[in-house]
Amino acid sequence: MPMVLLECDKDIPERSKHIYLKVEGEDQRDFLPISNAATIPGTLSERGCAFCGAKLVIGGVLKDTIQMIHGPIGCAYDTWHTKRYPTDNGHFNMKYVWSTDMKESHIVFGGEKRLEKSINEAFDEMPDIKRMFVYTTCPTALIGDDIKAVAKKVMSERPDVDIFCCECPGFAGVSQSKGHHVLNINWINEKVGAVEPEITSDYTINFIGDYNIQGDTQLLQTYWDRLGIQVIAHFTGNAAYDELRSMHKAQLNVVNCARSAGYIANELKKQYGIPRLDIDSWGFSYMAEGIRKVCAFFGIEERGEKLIAEEYAKWKPQLDWYKERLQGTKMAIWTGGPRLWHWTKSVEDDLGVQVVAMSSKFGHQEDFEKVIARGQAGTYYIDDGNELEFFEIIDLVKPDVIFTGPRVGELVKKLHIPYVNGHAYHNGPYMGFEGFVNLARDMYNAKANPLLKLAAKDIRGGKTQFMEAAE
Amino acid sequence: MSEQQVKELFDYCQVRYLWQFFSRSWDREENIEGILNAANDMFRGRVIKKSTPMERLFYADAKEMVKDFRENFPWIEQTEPAKISELLDGLKAMLREYTITKSLNHELNHSLY
Repeated sequence: MPMVLLECDKDIPERSKHIYLKVEGEDQRDFLPISNAATIPGTLSERGCAFCGAKLVIGGVLKDTIQMIHGPIGCAYDTWHTKRYPTDNGHFNMKYVWSTDMKESHIVFGGEKRLEKSINEAFDEMPDIKRMFVYTTCPTALIGDDIKAVAKKVMSERPDVDIFCCECPGFAGVSQSKGHHVLNINWINEKVGAVEPEITSDYTINFIGDYNIQGDTQLLQTYWDRLGIQVIAHFTGNAAYDELRSMHKAQLNVVNCARSAGYIANELKKQYGIPRLDIDSWGFSYMAEGIRKVCAFFGIEERGEKLIAEEYAKWKPQLDWYKERLQGTKMAIWTGGPRLWHWTKSVEDDLGVQVVAMSSKFGHQEDFEKVIARGQAGTYYIDDGNELEFFEIIDLVKPDVIFTGPRVGELVKKLHIPYVNGHAYHNGPYMGFEGFVNLARDMYNAKANPLLKLAAKDIRGGKTQFMEAAE
Repeated sequence: MSEQQVKELFDYCQVRYLWQFFSRSWDREENIEGILNAANDMFRGRVIKKSTPMERLFYADAKEMVKDFRENFPWIEQTEPAKISELLDGLKAMLREYTITKSLNHELNHSLY
């Protein structure tokens, strides 16, 4: 089967290079969707911008850092609070949002003075906070504001503060992926190596590409504590700014999200000789495999087996309860990229769920290689999907549940198809053993929820097409 | 060496292991060579080198792979050591073909990460 041209795409036939239907006997040598490419004119992309990739995904997670957004107020609001990444210091990062609130006069006359004033105001208002990220946005990049010069001036006047500048305006790349890239590379080149951590264990790792969505990092931290492994830095779940400056001291980089943070793991290997170990943190068998590999690296296999046995004893019966009820469920995954390949085999193996369609907003071809290798035949693999394509794919594969973000989720709800937040979760964490039971529970609750049928009832009498679909 | 047996091992690797899909061709080559060599040493009962961080990494990945192969492909226990080496050489070649030489991934040979 070649790449697929959907009916809704007949006027933009280039979209066929982005949609693949796998059939038996084919593999990723034959077909690989084009990805990480500019959105085709005529398609209504669901993507975010490059600035969003840097701020919302990675930087905004930090628990002790002011996130100063140098741009109009909307850039701040739209990258604040839509991800749920708590912290162990009272969720400082989710309580506050900072912006230079650029207006027309600042665009005309330049915004550097306003930025300097905003930085000083923020530090004055929050005297306990000594770390800051400053982001350029589209307008401040276009007018050429030199944010690094401003940051340097403030740091010379306030020697106790440290500022990282992320120069990645929204237009810098084709999607949020560019923001991940810029932040990763600039961070290692400018900040890593600046702080020497206290070493408290013979076994040290960086845990890279996990953003503490609803407590993922904190759940996995309980495993590392039980294993006696010190995490030098979490990139960036529940992390402090200075942790990330000491990443060079870990013995091993354990990578979960290779798309948003593989760059820094590669550079840590190249620049500091720290090996990179990729694992899947979602799913029972994958999580156990990851723990076994980390423990084998350090020669502490017995500790790993003990932890896995304890976790299986505690959580596997609950997982099996859901597996019995979810067996044969048809699932669609429409998220950023990596969760496609993290989840497709784990829900199949651990829950008996069949993934029938997967769409990636910002994945690269590396992600499609992984997901096509792991995914089933008969499944659609879509890059940068748009709304009309989603509707058509729903008709083609008829999913029982869709894991996607809130924006697409609202569309899905109107079709009375169960939706679970695949980005920020419904009731996470979803990582680890306990977490995968949470995912199973949310999937089961979404499927079994009677409100879908009730909401489709037309109180004026008669049946609607949605009622018929819900039945 | 049976081509069918190599294909069975390859299919298992494809759905299971992330190390074959690292960012660049040289990373993939390094992983395939290092992990499969370590696996070969394990199957043949040789002492595994673990003196450098990369050797310990290859050991960790290979150990899981060898365990998985033994659990999922019982015929491997009845295979002579020399034949296992041939099987793993065949697996290496297949992994290289799919993930490096015939990969359609346009980012594989970019000089920067």
